[in-house]
Amino acid sequence: MQIKDDHYTRLLQGLAYTVIILGSLACLIPFLLIISASLTANESIIKDGYHLIPAQFSVEGYKTVFTFPDEVLRAYGVTLFTTVTGTLLGLFFMTMAGYVLARKDFKYRNTFSFYIYFTTLFGGGLVPWYIMITKYLHLTDSYGALIFPGLMTPFLIILMKNFIRSAVPEELFESAKIDGAGDFKIYWRIVLQLSMPGIATVSLFLALAYWNDWFSSSLFINDPHKYQLQFHLYNVINSAAFIANMGAGTGVSLGSDLPTESTKMAMAIVVTGPILFLYPFIQRYFVKGLTIGAVKG
Amino acid sequence: MKKKTGRRSLVTLTTAALALSLLAGCGGNNNSGNSANGANSGTDGNKDTAAATDSTTSMAAPAETGIDTSKKVELQFYMLGDAPKDLPVIQDEINKMAQEELNATVKFNYTSWTDWDQKYKLLLSSGQAIDLIFTADWTQYQSYAKRGAFLAIDDLLPKAAPELQKFVPESMWEDVKVDGKIYTVPATYKEYVTNGFVYREDLRKKYDLPVPKDLASYEAYMDGIVKNEPDMMPMSLNSDIGNNLHYIYTELNKMIGALPYGMGVKYESPTTVYSYWGSDEQKEELKTMKRWADKGFIPKNVLNIKDTMQDPVTSGKAASMFGDNPTRYNDMKMKISTTHPEWELAYSPFGLTTGYATPVHPIHNGFAIPKSSKNPERALAFYEKLVLDKRYNQLTQYGIEGKNYTVEDGYYKLVGTSASNGFSREGMNGWAWRNPEFMLFDKGFDGVKAIFDELDKIQKPDLFLGFAEDYSSYQAEKAALEQVEKQYLFPLEAGLVEDIDKGLETFMQKAKQAGLEKIQTEWTKQWNAYVAEKGIK
Repeated sequence: MQIKDDHYTRLLQGLAYTVIILGSLACLIPFLLIISASLTANESIIKDGYHLIPAQFSVEGYKTVFTFPDEVLRAYGVTLFTTVTGTLLGLFFMTMAGYVLARKDFKYRNTFSFYIYFTTLFGGGLVPWYIMITKYLHLTDSYGALIFPGLMTPFLIILMKNFIRSAVPEELFESAKIDGAGDFKIYWRIVLQLSMPGIATVSLFLALAYWNDWFSSSLFINDPHKYQLQFHLYNVINSAAFIANMGAGTGVSLGSDLPTESTKMAMAIVVTGPILFLYPFIQRYFVKGLTIGAVKG
Repeated sequence: MKKKTGRRSLVTLTTAALALSLLAGCGGNNNSGNSANGANSGTDGNKDTAAATDSTTSMAAPAETGIDTSKKVELQFYMLGDAPKDLPVIQDEINKMAQEELNATVKFNYTSWTDWDQKYKLLLSSGQAIDLIFTADWTQYQSYAKRGAFLAIDDLLPKAAPELQKFVPESMWEDVKVDGKIYTVPATYKEYVTNGFVYREDLRKKYDLPVPKDLASYEAYMDGIVKNEPDMMPMSLNSDIGNNLHYIYTELNKMIGALPYGMGVKYESPTTVYSYWGSDEQKEELKTMKRWADKGFIPKNVLNIKDTMQDPVTSGKAASMFGDNPTRYNDMKMKISTTHPEWELAYSPFGLTTGYATPVHPIHNGFAIPKSSKNPERALAFYEKLVLDKRYNQLTQYGIEGKNYTVEDGYYKLVGTSASNGFSREGMNGWAWRNPEFMLFDKGFDGVKAIFDELDKIQKPDLFLGFAEDYSSYQAEKAALEQVEKQYLFPLEAGLVEDIDKGLETFMQKAKQAGLEKIQTEWTKQWNAYVAEKGIK
């Protein structure tokens, strides 16, 4: 019996390891390919294709990226700024909203909940959204256009509300009140302290959304100095593709140097690099927050 | 007790809302403060700035134009593509002059090439105050004009830009008309974007191959390449089969331009419309492509190739291109001359084979004033300056002389390299206000000019780009048909299908299901109306 058990355990372990190894290889190899391509001479990429080990070593790609490091660095700055500000502000607003909606003694709780819930089902669509932000809020070319749209995500508010409702017993509000705490104090000192896992979850979602955002830049930003990182990268690659493909029928000249394959790859590495190094260190907190959040919420 | 807490939470919520709106306000102010951006292009903003400048510059605007320039305005200029790095410097210089002469400043906005068509649509449909926007056949000038997105400038021209009206030939004004009205200022620079064979002359000489002049000689050339240079691709191709094989083939067969939905119209007989799809002519094309694929000219994975068309040629992987326009051929030639001087690239324009070449149609490059413009008069007057005033024109096309470029023996020369220079030639994408009288060319452009001169001898006007298709009645069918094309026609056109007849039959059947007949009838009706209206025979 004992031996048989061991046998199965070992089989399971072997299987698990194989799956994990295959899985991580599937994730790693494309990335290695990008690293390798970024270190290959451009002509060699076009002629021989991509290889795991550079066929013709060259750092030309990185040289091109760093000819104007200010562009990349500025885009970094913008993304960092919007991510940090957006996440902090968003957290504040959403936990507030969640807390208010979780309080059973708030009279218009259902009306507001429905109002928020309704927007997850029916949206005005792209054009009204665009008109709202450009014509009424006048946010074209401002950081506001990058930050505001993400501040009150209905889904995250509902998540927060449910989390607070389950994590903070209602009796706590009353007892705190008896002890002389005001509504804001209850929110700040009690609700926030008790819903840390929920906050971690929401902040993960928020931060990722801000870090990966490129669409807001694409729509609302005309000034290249305010491009977000992802959009900057996307745009460089797209312009090259556009000019190369559309040029045939339009007479657009290829006069200026287009980024080559190796430059594109080098740029991808430069852009993803820091978050890659950062992620393993923060990741464990995220995992904890997500699991606790999942179990309780 | 319960009621009280309820009210308090409400207070908290309103505080939050207030804080939010406060922040929104900050953002807005910031924005208009640091870049004087047109977000506040309402009259209030204009008044403020007008008041501020009135005292300092005291209206130095001369009354040479027949328009009222007493109020200072900021023009919103929308361009396609990416802004050059030195744009702020150029914009300041332009504004110094424009402020004095027109009492107006201008802000150049760029859409970037990413999702530009969606953004273009939003800009025009959201009713933002825009004063000038780029137009071209490929940005659907005609359909936007038809739908009322632009302002008709017929009456405005003699008043705001009389010189410009005289400068642009009458025939061009006529050609850009949509429903009898002018909606765009066309560009007067004549260029050819017609195709031609691009091939390696050194290899041709080395193996004694024929000069590619038509389909037969091109095929013989590629045969020779496959035999002698087995490692090379005989022609450069990528997944954009429609543009890189099919339309080039039909251009060589004297079809007028890239017609949609399998419509066929020949240059010699523009009033005869037929269905190219399913015709013997198309079968001939598909057979040719099948033969080319069998001979190894078209790679098996062609639908997955994402390289640009030029890179394989400039890196020596491919020996030719089925077709490209003279300007881009020249760019490639220049590139090769620095990286591989021992190679030789040559070009034979299709015009020499077909017997005619068409310069670009006037709607190919232009600027329109959107309906939402607050200052159409000033915008047009400013645009006149861009085209006809040498200082404005050269500043916006080439940058600052001495800093961005120099002129040597009448040739344009970039200072430094395009990576270190913040404003390369035509860096602002101002193709539409090119003025042939002020244009400076790179020495390498002589090659293109030589080709243009040759094509000039056989030029015939392109009468057909003025056609404005109105697909509102068959929008759904159009979308469905595009899917069918991608799935069933592209493999046929790439010579990847074994049985052509059967493949074509399947495609035609699916296309009919998608509503091909309805589209073709409607399109033919519109086309006939167009040729009748323009008196084309």
